Amino acid sequence: MGGKVTCTLGEVKNRADFIIYWGGNPAECHPRHFTKYTLTQKGKFVPTGRKGRTMVLVDIRETPSAKAADVFLQVRPGKDFEMVAALRALVKGQPVDPALVAETGLTVEQLQDFVNQMKSCKFGVLFFGMGLSMTRGKHMNSASVLALAAELNAFTKFVAMPMRGHGNVTGADVILRYTTGYPFGINLCRGYPRFNPGEFSTVDLLVRGDNDASLILGADPGATMPQPAIEHLARTPTIVLDPKVTHTSKISRVHITTAATGVSAPGTVYRMDEVPLPLRPALKSPYPTDEEVMRRIREAVMKKPAWLPAANGRLAARA
Amino acid sequence: MPELKIVKNATCTFCGCVCDDIELHAEGERVVETKRACSLGESWFKHHTAERLYPDALIDGKPATVDDAVEVAAEYLYRAHMPLVYGLSNTTCEAQREAVFLAELIGGVIDSHTSL
Repeated sequence: MGGKVTCTLGEVKNRADFIIYWGGNPAECHPRHFTKYTLTQKGKFVPTGRKGRTMVLVDIRETPSAKAADVFLQVRPGKDFEMVAALRALVKGQPVDPALVAETGLTVEQLQDFVNQMKSCKFGVLFFGMGLSMTRGKHMNSASVLALAAELNAFTKFVAMPMRGHGNVTGADVILRYTTGYPFGINLCRGYPRFNPGEFSTVDLLVRGDNDASLILGADPGATMPQPAIEHLARTPTIVLDPKVTHTSKISRVHITTAATGVSAPGTVYRMDEVPLPLRPALKSPYPTDEEVMRRIREAVMKKPAWLPAANGRLAARA
Repeated sequence: MPELKIVKNATCTFCGCVCDDIELHAEGERVVETKRACSLGESWFKHHTAERLYPDALIDGKPATVDDAVEVAAEYLYRAHMPLVYGLSNTTCEAQREAVFLAELIGGVIDSHTSL
């Protein structure tokens, strides 16, 4: 689980009586999260369903998800880290400066109430979205809410879970973790994995122009990345595997059309709580799957002499 | 009229919820009904058809065979000093494993949407 204090969504459904959503809008982005996993389901230890649960939403604006919440706390944009720091101090009974708390747009009383609720619940869960993890403070914000959840275990059972967006981004974390030891941003150019976000993360790599070829699989950076990154993709050889001819395909040297994951391609996908689920495709695609094309590219590369001479025999033995 | 195919407990991969209780009704090349799916899931399944809308592959913007495209791709990646393998979100774990293997072979950087 990568060191997180977390659980599965089945445990949330059966146990959680206090649910926090922070920096996310599940009502619009994960429409069945409330009804299938968290809020309205009746669980083994929450037999009354919605009545037996309390929900708090923390966000910078009142999204449609606020309608589902019992309490909505509006934090000032970019002040999430300060708010978590104040909450962690209050959890430990430390004094906090009301002037500093005021900067978050909330009062010490509101935060104290929030902490009292967290401490007095039987099983609390904190779901955090990109409104927390992708705004000012970024991974430090994620680290601080994970620490908050961990520290609350001195008083009750408390867990945290990121609200993951794209289908199998959780799977990418899991696969990279168990194959290389790191979750993302991994450089294998010395023949062993090195992890350094900021140096080996894609946007930074492309904007600096560090890499001299790219293979894009299950993503469309041509539509989402900053302009200097897109220009570098266009300048260097780029290869795209995608069910459609995308923005990235148009700036690439090679595009290969593949079957759509889950619709016409089988395989395994991880849910946001790191539970792997099999796909049951309903259609048969005229195109090969990502898996098949990746295997064929890999086999074509393996026919060439290995760049690391010592690896020649070892890699052939693995295939 | 193409035959109606019903798939029970199908898995939706649009968002991180990965709901696996969807009932899909497929007719020929397209999904026509998505029971229990949310509005995002419904448009996801109905949007991706099995029609042949695009060429098998493109090399420098021109239609090509998959065989040729695979060879050209392998050559570009092999020749690069610091290739990047990126994305990995909208694909299966099986393809992700192949991506890790390829990244190791070519001595490259591997990264996912998580780093954004």
